[in-house]
Amino acid sequence: MDKTMIICRCEEISYEEIEEVISNGAKRFDDIKRMTRCGMGPCQSKICNSLVATIIHEKTGIPIHEIPLPRMRMPISPIKLETLATNSTSFSSVKSVLDEVELEDGKVR
Amino acid sequence: METSYETIIIGGGVVGSSIAYHLSERKKEGILVLDQKFPLSGTSGSTQAWVWVHNKTPSWYAEFNMYSAELYPYLSKKIGDVEYKRTGGLSPFFNEADREKALLLAEAYKKIGIKIKVLSREEALEKEPSLNPEVAGATYSSIDGNVNPFRLVDMYMRAAKKNGVQYSTYNKVTEIQKLPGKFIVSSRKGTFVCNNLILAGGTWSRELGKLVDISIPVNQLRGQILVTEPLKPFLHYTISGLRQAFNGEVLIGYSMEEEGFNRATTLDVIQETANMAVHYVPQLKKAKVVRAFSGIRAMPEDGFPILGNIPGIENLYVAATHSGVTLSPLIGTLMTELILDGETSIPIDRYSISRFDLAIR
Ligand SMILES: Cc1cc2nc3c(=O)[nH]c(=O)nc-3n(C[C@H](O)[C@H](O)[C@H](O)COP(=O)(O)OP(=O)(O)OC[C@H]3O[C@@H](n4cnc5c(N)ncnc54)[C@H](O)[C@@H]3O)c2cc1C
Repeated sequence: MDKTMIICRCEEISYEEIEEVISNGAKRFDDIKRMTRCGMGPCQSKICNSLVATIIHEKTGIPIHEIPLPRMRMPISPIKLETLATNSTSFSSVKSVLDEVELEDGKVR
Repeated sequence: METSYETIIIGGGVVGSSIAYHLSERKKEGILVLDQKFPLSGTSGSTQAWVWVHNKTPSWYAEFNMYSAELYPYLSKKIGDVEYKRTGGLSPFFNEADREKALLLAEAYKKIGIKIKVLSREEALEKEPSLNPEVAGATYSSIDGNVNPFRLVDMYMRAAKKNGVQYSTYNKVTEIQKLPGKFIVSSRKGTFVCNNLILAGGTWSRELGKLVDISIPVNQLRGQILVTEPLKPFLHYTISGLRQAFNGEVLIGYSMEEEGFNRATTLDVIQETANMAVHYVPQLKKAKVVRAFSGIRAMPEDGFPILGNIPGIENLYVAATHSGVTLSPLIGTLMTELILDGETSIPIDRYSISRFDLAIR
């Protein structure tokens, strides 16, 4: 592969950038993803997945079947926020920052 | 690789890497960072990364965060562009009871020199026109902002390596032995000797503590975040709950769950998070979510950083904290002072591990 070849089209990450992370010790897709954003774009690694595995294999000798797939993240294909929203305004695990401000005897602690 | 080092840092997240970098600014040789996986595979790779001061209580803790936020512009000059942006921070509220609380907060902060404003509905909407018109008001502070956590850790690492720091990744520490004047650190890839040992294992601090027979009371607190497709820049401020990154993505989420090390994302919290987004900024309804991720906060038992040396074990240090992104420049600076000078420019006694029971139960 040519050094300047774009491997991740969404984030425009080249072969060379991926190679550098591997030479610094990265062994799996997720390591490369976090360092370069390769695979974090709208296609969520559907295009670059096997290319990256091939590069890891070539550079490290790790057999392709031992290279873990990138972590797939909900919702797999993009959906609108309103599809997820239920419009409830009561929250349990989601907080507002002011909820965290602690008062003691009517004063800020 | 050498086997003998002046200082070994266990953990290459934002905290460990900041310490490595700051230490290497003054002492170029003999620093090794060990990570069981890869830097950013821990909490530092799954965070909102606000550089956040306002709304933190008690006010002495806010002050500590402020000193760190103040170091950011200087840090970017030293290690390179980390996409830090001092946007100012807005915490919207939707009921009048919260205004009372906000005013008390502003009052308490005034005493220590942190300026926050309590905005009326109109003022809040004027600043951030995309906010829900039903907002009651907001607290505002100009010191808050955000940073790209991936670039931050990457740049800490690059700068550290340039100064001679070595990183050994995929190298889990399995045993630590204390001998007079030195530590013997056994890891998957070999055994290392060092004079100073720093535990910066984030959410794994408890396990690291066990290796030296002390209790480091750090718990796990899961947070889930939604990420939208890149949108054209429209949010001006870091809003507590959501922020727009440099590339246009909006990161949404402020959830807390006790789920141990479980890094799953769950539909109920995803839905609540979506609700928060459209409640705060209604026009986000049509924005597409490209992924949900979760991270595990390293949460000390009382919520405050655990920093400094470990009493009774010479040359052993710990740095474990929530808000590690905000605090990393300050923690790196102070830990360096502590190790090299034996004292810090800002007192950190309050954050000493000695406030807890050190014995392993
Ligand atoms: C959803 C969410 C939102 C957040 N939002 C913010 C925010 O807006 N602002 C903010 O300031 N903070 C925020 N935080 C907190 C912040 O991300 C953390 O405080 C910070 O990342 C902690 O950094 P760390 O270096 O201590 O931990 P980590 O990044 O987890 O690093 C610890 C490292 O230690 C290594 N390690 C552990 N055990 C061993 C071992 N035995 N041998 C070798 N290596 C080991 C791990 O592999 C890991 O890489 C948020 C956290 C979450 C989860």
